[in-house]
Amino acid sequence: MSRLEAKKPSICRREPLTGERAGARLAALRGLLTSCYGPAGRLKQLHNGRGGPVAATSHSAALLAGLPVSHPVLKVLTAAVRNHVACFSDGGLFTAILCCNLVENVQRLGLTPTTVIRLNKHLLSLCTRYLKSEVCACRIPVDFGSTQILLSLVRSILTSKPACMLIAKEIDHISTLILKAFLLTIPENAQEHIILGKSIIVPLKGQRVIDSAVLPGILIEVSEVQLMKILPIKKSDSFKVAVFCVSLSGDLSDTGEGTLLVSYGVSLENAALDQLFNLGKQLVSDHVDLVLCQKVIHPSLKQFLRTHQIIAVDRIGVSLMEPLSKVTATVCSLLLCNRNDTAWDELKLTCQTALHALQLTVKEPYVLLGGGCTETHLVAYIRHKTRNEPESVLRDERCSQTELQLITEAFCSALESLAGSLEHDGGEVLTDGKYGHFWSVQANLPSAVNWPDLPSRCGCGLYSSQEELSWSFLRSAHHPFPPQTCLSHEAKGSANTLTLDCFTAKLSGLQVAVETASLILDLSCVIEDTN
Amino acid sequence: MDCRVINKRRHTGLQQLSSFAETGRTFLGPVKSSKFIIDEECHESVLISSAVRLLESLDLTSAVGQLLSEAIQAQNKTYRTGTSTLLFLVGAWSSAAEECLHLGVPISLIVSVMSEGLNSCIEEVESLQVPVHSVYDHIDSTETFSGLSVSLDPSLHIPSGTGLVQKEHDLKDVASQSLAFCRLSGRPVKSPQLFRLQARFEADENTSQTPQTLKNNLLADTCCRKSVLTHSRHFSRTDRHQWISKPGELLEQLSAAAPKTYRCSDLAELEVGLSHGDPSSMRLVAEAVRLQHQNAGMRRGGHTVLFPFDISRIFTCCLPGLPDSLSCVCPGYITVLSMSSATLIKELQNQPVRVVLVEGDLTENYRHLGFNKPTNIKTVSESVKVQQDSSEELWTDHVLQVLIKFNVNLVLARGNVSEGLAEKCTDSKRLVIGSVPESVLQAFAEASGAVQVAYITHMNENCVGSGVSVTTWRSVTSDTVDGISRMTVVLKTEGINLVTVVLTSPVTAQMQTKEDRFWTCASRLYYALKEQKVFPGGGAVELLCLTHLQSLAGQSVNKGNQDCSGWLHNTSSWLASSAALYRPTVLKSLADGWHRYLSTLLRNTAVYSSDSEAATSIQCHLQNAADSGSPSSYILNEYSKLNSVILNSGISDKLEPIPRVYDVVTPKIEAWRRALDLVLLVLQTDSEIITGLAHTQKSSQESEGFLFL
Repeated sequence: MSRLEAKKPSICRREPLTGERAGARLAALRGLLTSCYGPAGRLKQLHNGRGGPVAATSHSAALLAGLPVSHPVLKVLTAAVRNHVACFSDGGLFTAILCCNLVENVQRLGLTPTTVIRLNKHLLSLCTRYLKSEVCACRIPVDFGSTQILLSLVRSILTSKPACMLIAKEIDHISTLILKAFLLTIPENAQEHIILGKSIIVPLKGQRVIDSAVLPGILIEVSEVQLMKILPIKKSDSFKVAVFCVSLSGDLSDTGEGTLLVSYGVSLENAALDQLFNLGKQLVSDHVDLVLCQKVIHPSLKQFLRTHQIIAVDRIGVSLMEPLSKVTATVCSLLLCNRNDTAWDELKLTCQTALHALQLTVKEPYVLLGGGCTETHLVAYIRHKTRNEPESVLRDERCSQTELQLITEAFCSALESLAGSLEHDGGEVLTDGKYGHFWSVQANLPSAVNWPDLPSRCGCGLYSSQEELSWSFLRSAHHPFPPQTCLSHEAKGSANTLTLDCFTAKLSGLQVAVETASLILDLSCVIEDTN
Repeated sequence: MDCRVINKRRHTGLQQLSSFAETGRTFLGPVKSSKFIIDEECHESVLISSAVRLLESLDLTSAVGQLLSEAIQAQNKTYRTGTSTLLFLVGAWSSAAEECLHLGVPISLIVSVMSEGLNSCIEEVESLQVPVHSVYDHIDSTETFSGLSVSLDPSLHIPSGTGLVQKEHDLKDVASQSLAFCRLSGRPVKSPQLFRLQARFEADENTSQTPQTLKNNLLADTCCRKSVLTHSRHFSRTDRHQWISKPGELLEQLSAAAPKTYRCSDLAELEVGLSHGDPSSMRLVAEAVRLQHQNAGMRRGGHTVLFPFDISRIFTCCLPGLPDSLSCVCPGYITVLSMSSATLIKELQNQPVRVVLVEGDLTENYRHLGFNKPTNIKTVSESVKVQQDSSEELWTDHVLQVLIKFNVNLVLARGNVSEGLAEKCTDSKRLVIGSVPESVLQAFAEASGAVQVAYITHMNENCVGSGVSVTTWRSVTSDTVDGISRMTVVLKTEGINLVTVVLTSPVTAQMQTKEDRFWTCASRLYYALKEQKVFPGGGAVELLCLTHLQSLAGQSVNKGNQDCSGWLHNTSSWLASSAALYRPTVLKSLADGWHRYLSTLLRNTAVYSSDSEAATSIQCHLQNAADSGSPSSYILNEYSKLNSVILNSGISDKLEPIPRVYDVVTPKIEAWRRALDLVLLVLQTDSEIITGLAHTQKSSQESEGFLFL
């Protein structure tokens, strides 16, 4: 019996961000996500505390799906990030951390939300315009004539998730497979509108990673008994296939409510089976060679088909039905192996991310420099722009010079903290005064400008410390400088061991982060239903 | 809705791992002490002697415990061997990782250096691999080592022509004696020596030599093999990569000098080497292989080009309450039936019978998977004639008619069998057996020409198989279980690719252990034959790992292996440049894990009575290996000299030759990888997130260390 309860008045809370609780929870979420970020990120064990499966992960999709947040501000944030991940797969942690940083940084300033939102929007468009422009020095055009950049992109995504538990050899193997799988989904005779095919990930848990493989076409599981009967298939040309998505198990169709009276001696099951046999005879007379059924085929019908040399495979499952209808187009199966369930789950998520990143790269054929370099370079660019050309902003956005400086600093330091989050073992981060790239060094070095033991390469791997560069600590006050724009040609060529990020995903992540931060800062009250 | 984030659990995870692993320490090595696990609530106890069963019985509700359990299960599911090694190394390496943390090594560096170190070890031990080639060359002549199969027990009713191979197990069986909690009975590898020599003796008999000359040859072979070995130029080579890279050439060279040193071409030798202190289980496996091989020969008309040992066609039948000596291997399917079928079986005994295979239950209500039976259908009778028969009876009659029509006397069903039908069939001289495993049905389908059916009432002549013989094996009075007398029957057809291993044990509690051990032995042999390579056993591989890591730790990082884990090798992080500082420390900790493994192995095999003795011995060998310039050659050399536990210098003065001990390659290496992966996974975990909607309010004391979102 249903019970009706009188509606209780909703609770309205003003200024949800100002309470101590909100600040602590936002900081906790930021700390949690920051600790997962990057190839040296720490893992989280997710489980329900009651003997359920344990997942060890640092993947935002897995984390946010299992992280039940109660505070409305955090709910807004995680919902936005999950939405981004659903659309782009990559850059979930980037988006979430940047958003947390922005909210925390701006909140401290105590400016009015409207000013903050307006200026944040301005800074965001400054970033996106730069990233999309030809002079942008932190993006590389993708050359589809070679595998170098694409492989580097895939490898960077794989290495960013340590819970996959891959060694270097295995990363190379899986990267190659992912690229192969991606290439197999590109139709051969591409016209104006390319419709990419599908790659189906087939689980093979418990096996060695190195045994993973890619096969063109769809892999269907068939019992060994059946297989021995099927093989060898002699007929190779004009192989007729019939695909059924309805059950052929001999079920009676829905008899509706009430009781059905059947005369003694009449068997509805046999009647249904007779119908199936009629179907079978039709298939035989149509010279069908292979019958595939999403659901169950009645064993007697299967037996009938078998005696007429028709291969019958049932219980294909709904997930294979869509690619099956495309089987003549481009479908491939990626047989993914890993030693145990936990590592396999993480590897699967990561492979999906990588495949998605490759697909996005087709649409926008660029990659961004990874390893923190894009962030630090953007920071240098923004600082320089707002310091040297503030007039137009001040006029358009109707704000004071101080306000602009404060917001720019908050925005830049949010990006810098994000880049700094790549460090988990107590190291120090520097930026150079020429390219504005990210350099990682050991902590507690004497603060001279020219250290003897500087890292040999920057975070993305594009530049080496051989040239005369000047360095400063990240997050330390320094003079704005114009970072060198326009990538040199030799730089584009040396993409062999670069750390790269997906252009589309990162750009969207940046937008989502800034917009969500603005939304959160703009919240003036939260109305909650109590029942 | 609350989520609890438990922070600062960095070290407790590793500590949990090492304490879980400690419980399985005694399972390492050939002599395994069993454990009783007692449930304090219901006073039930289980006897276990393997890591898998141990973890099954332990209450592992913590997240780390579950991950450990998952890792062990995955190893067991894939390889059925190597779980004790896995469990032990998890413990050893989690202590090692913890030690590194205490010394202030950054976590990311521990992860990448340990990963690199193990990887380098795995590459290094490739040089120790022993190729397994043409082991079946002698198999036909050995006739399942008749020299060993003494007399058949006259008390057994073995019908002639069933081809049973019955052995009297007069050899000392370590496995059966391991019930004692502490067993220090000396070398467990001693007994199989007879087994091996006998097999070799028979193997060579085929080459038309008189037994006398052969015996001399054998002795001579054993003697000069050693001398050839020690002085062989191949052992003084320091550049081992040269001969690894060209295996063909190597074999050629070796065949001139010491042909039997680096390869294993004798199946019996391989079996003894892989028995790991459990000769009785391995003997059963050996017989199963020979039966399968004979069968394969029959099916292909004598041409056994490539014979794969197929463990999916081996079936175990456990008969608790019978003496150990009754364990045996038979072609066909052996199963236990109630005594009430005795007369029926006697009648079916002397004729080939026709068979039907049912892939599901054999009951009136059974419908195939995916069929939904509507519940709202009612049958009405139009006439006033009263229907006496229930639908169940009608169905039974129908089935019986079909069986009579096709002259079928034997029905094997995958699932349950309706009792009424079984009774009626018995009355009409038809035997119905339920709960038959899938692989057994498949074997009968292949051998008898039958096609599995879902509904017996829908079958036709094409589905019937023929030529199955039904014979009694022996009666089993199992009053220990429920007081019902039972009997066992053998079902088989000409050339059926199915072997039943009957496992017996007077102690019911040991039955599970016995079955597990049989499968472990079978898997070891399976992988050795499949991969065509084995490792020298007895700690040789681990000793090389230990030496290798020690020398790596001594090298400068530039010279070191560039094949780091994951990201460090092409990263620009400061960690890459400061790795040199911490590398020796981490590698040493990893090596300490191997050291613990070796000394526990030595302690468990009762070679040494104290850890310090074991440590001294290991140290001595390490020194020698380092001094020799080529540790792998030194180890192979020692291995060939001693043949058994490599570090067992205490017994080398006895002249009695000891058979080689072998180990499987991939399952072992995978166990190492899984162990380290688990340790590193836990090491890199910094918090636990408890998900779900549980509204359990924690008291303020409990919620310490929790974060709420």
